[in-house]
Amino acid sequence: MRWTGKIRFLFLAPAVIWVLAFTVFPLGYSLYLAFYKIEQKVEVKREKQPMLDAAGQPVLDDAGQPRTKNVVIKEQVNTATFIGLDNFKRMLTDTQVHEAVRVTLTFVLIAVPLELVLGFLLAVLFNQHIFGRPILRAFMILPIFATPLAVGYTFFTIFYEVGGPLAWTGIPFLSNPTWALMSVIIVDVWQWTPFCFLVFLAALQGVPDELYEAARVDGANAWDMLKEVMLPLLIPTIVIVLLLRMAEALKLFDIPFALTGGGPGVATQPFSMLAFRTGLRFFDLGYASAMSYAFLAVIMIVITLFFRRLRANYG
Amino acid sequence: MMHPLKWPLFALPALALLSLPASAGQNVEWKDDGTVLIKLGEAYNNAVIQTTREELGTEFGPDKQPFKDVTISVTVNGAGPKGGISGPLYQFRPIWEELSGGKLNIVELPFAEHYTKMMLDLRNGTGQYDAFMVGAFWYGDIAPAGYAFPIDELNKSGKYPKWTYDDMPDSLRALHQWKGVGYGVLNDGDGQVLYYRSDVLADKTHQEAFKKEYGYDLPNPPQTWQQLLDVSKYFNGKNWDATDADPDSGTVLHLKVGEQGHYHFQTLSSSFVLNPGDKVTRTKNVYWFDPEDMKPLINSPGHVKALEFLQELHKTGPQAQVGWSLGEAWDYFLRGKAVFAFSWGDLGALCQDESRSKVKGKCSATAIPSSTEYYDFEKKDFVKLDQPRLVGNTVGGSWHGVISNFSANPEAAYSLLSLMAIKPASKLMATVGWDGVDPGFKYQFLKEDGGTAEVEDYVKAGWDANDAKSYVHAYQQVFTAPVMMPYLRIPGSFEYWDILDKNLSATMSGSKTAQQALDETAQSWEAVTDRIGRDKQKADYQAAIGYTP
Repeated sequence: MRWTGKIRFLFLAPAVIWVLAFTVFPLGYSLYLAFYKIEQKVEVKREKQPMLDAAGQPVLDDAGQPRTKNVVIKEQVNTATFIGLDNFKRMLTDTQVHEAVRVTLTFVLIAVPLELVLGFLLAVLFNQHIFGRPILRAFMILPIFATPLAVGYTFFTIFYEVGGPLAWTGIPFLSNPTWALMSVIIVDVWQWTPFCFLVFLAALQGVPDELYEAARVDGANAWDMLKEVMLPLLIPTIVIVLLLRMAEALKLFDIPFALTGGGPGVATQPFSMLAFRTGLRFFDLGYASAMSYAFLAVIMIVITLFFRRLRANYG
Repeated sequence: MMHPLKWPLFALPALALLSLPASAGQNVEWKDDGTVLIKLGEAYNNAVIQTTREELGTEFGPDKQPFKDVTISVTVNGAGPKGGISGPLYQFRPIWEELSGGKLNIVELPFAEHYTKMMLDLRNGTGQYDAFMVGAFWYGDIAPAGYAFPIDELNKSGKYPKWTYDDMPDSLRALHQWKGVGYGVLNDGDGQVLYYRSDVLADKTHQEAFKKEYGYDLPNPPQTWQQLLDVSKYFNGKNWDATDADPDSGTVLHLKVGEQGHYHFQTLSSSFVLNPGDKVTRTKNVYWFDPEDMKPLINSPGHVKALEFLQELHKTGPQAQVGWSLGEAWDYFLRGKAVFAFSWGDLGALCQDESRSKVKGKCSATAIPSSTEYYDFEKKDFVKLDQPRLVGNTVGGSWHGVISNFSANPEAAYSLLSLMAIKPASKLMATVGWDGVDPGFKYQFLKEDGGTAEVEDYVKAGWDANDAKSYVHAYQQVFTAPVMMPYLRIPGSFEYWDILDKNLSATMSGSKTAQQALDETAQSWEAVTDRIGRDKQKADYQAAIGYTP
């Protein structure tokens, strides 16, 4: 039995080490960073040492002098000063943070419902017997597999305002702050509606035909069936899709990064892009960590509330 | 006995051997008379650089490979083997590898990630990269922290290919040094000049129509920003270029956020803001901060007026330019769609590339215009000028090599960077459009401007003679102007510029007024200064601009 326990531990060890090293440690360290001001400094010393050949003899240059090599001696000197909640307080007065929150919320509140509604309507359509359904369905889900960054660059050429394929519309897709955010939403809707559609379609196909027949016998029309049969049965799926899409949409990064660079101004700079720039462009790691934790807390609260509601309604 | 028919088989190689120079490698040919021929690849049309053993230093020689088995890694903005700044590294790689015996690993990084990767390597002391092709605005983060390797000793040793800071105008030299110590190896000279369509401005019909509308002669080229705005307004919306049926523009700008739009503002605003003086004082020759207390000057009335002017000027170009990077704006000018563009040296060289440009021979350049008034920091009022006053600039990156202080092979890295910096190589590279290496050094300027180059050097490289003349003259003027736009090189420069850039972009897209944008910039700059440390910033700023309290 003792052996079994050890073997079990051995099998678990890689996963445990992986989680500790790549999840728990970074989480803990970033939390530490959020409360400290870190100043990193590296002190460098150089020493010349003789170069030796394979036989351990000094290598000589043309003048017969021993060749030397550089040895770099580094010493990392970090100073950490405890600053308490300063980084969190800073967020309250930082206009960039306020703007990024506004952009993120606007995006989530418009893009996610649109994706759900369109996905649901498409799923209802594809739940009928329509011509070429398997091929159309395959085409419909292709956008999911595209890399968001590549999608962003592709739409950059589509939305190009001088000579682009949509230039005739005269719409300032990327140069007007409102339109730029709308463009980001359009691209996200294009990419993620198929995901909603796919999940809803699977759920719809799981609804027993008997229920529709029973409803029909009771005199229900198409609208009644949608309202009274499909929607109630799909609510758990809709909530799950809503959760997944919201969690994903709150982390918006790639599409505005490639499409607009967060601009014009900060009109399309979501919260995650701001945190990224703060940490990895300007190396204000403590503040970036604080931002990320605040963001994580918000997402967790939203998701917990949703789950609570879900559990209350569906046990 | 050898059959007579087989003689040529042996005789021809023997003859070839006799006619060979002292030593001939695939890329480098060492002649007995001390000259050395360096053969560049197809990208440079198989050009051959003629240099001397003396110029190449004592470490390189026909039978020497001083860095055998050494591998060095150099980072550069990703643009590919025939792209700006990265291209020359690819072209010189086989040459350096033949001379040194080492291996060169070119690490291309997207512009948006280059600084981050470099700083992560330096802050952690990893030493993964031996050298970086940096923009001069990164110096504030690398030089005072001791991350860069000082190169003066190597430069003076005579062991490596020879080049000198003396070939640089003072304005560019300052960007390669920190507190008088050399860190950067000569490569590229960046500054903005005004490009204009010489054929359009010389058109008699337009000249008459302009005079009728504005009441003065069409300035060819404009000397002041106010003139430029009038001319831009006049041409904007007219189909003055017959290559298509669409209306054309006045001035084209590149204003995409996170890119290089803020340089337009720097160039334009410099003459609205800079107070001339013999030396840097609290009010003279300052642009960014008050050197005594690090209070931002960026929301001064001069800056605000300049930004309002830029908003006006922006209306004479396509609305889409708010989302344009360099490439799109340059392309617009090269397609003959705008009369004016003020940008870097690359554009002048690209005008000559007929595969991309419709404006070869019509693409003149002139020193950047100036404002007719500037804000006097002492009088706290605007001062009107009788004559245009040129304010030079070195805005941009002046991209060049800096060696990491954590490199185990600084000599090898230096030998590569200095090989690309020798006069004949630098001269050749400045004449080519695609390589991103722009002129700025004395030997690239024409003789009449105190340099040693001749128009024929440019004509041989495919330039139109008139375009070349105006181009090199414009650069000479911009780099040697008596009043220069000071360069921001302090820790956090990237962040200060990013804040400015976002606010400028918001102004250009109409979501903020000029005053509001610059006030918010100043407020955010104060927070950055406080965070990094006001006293530390003040000391570095004073050192960077040459201010003595």
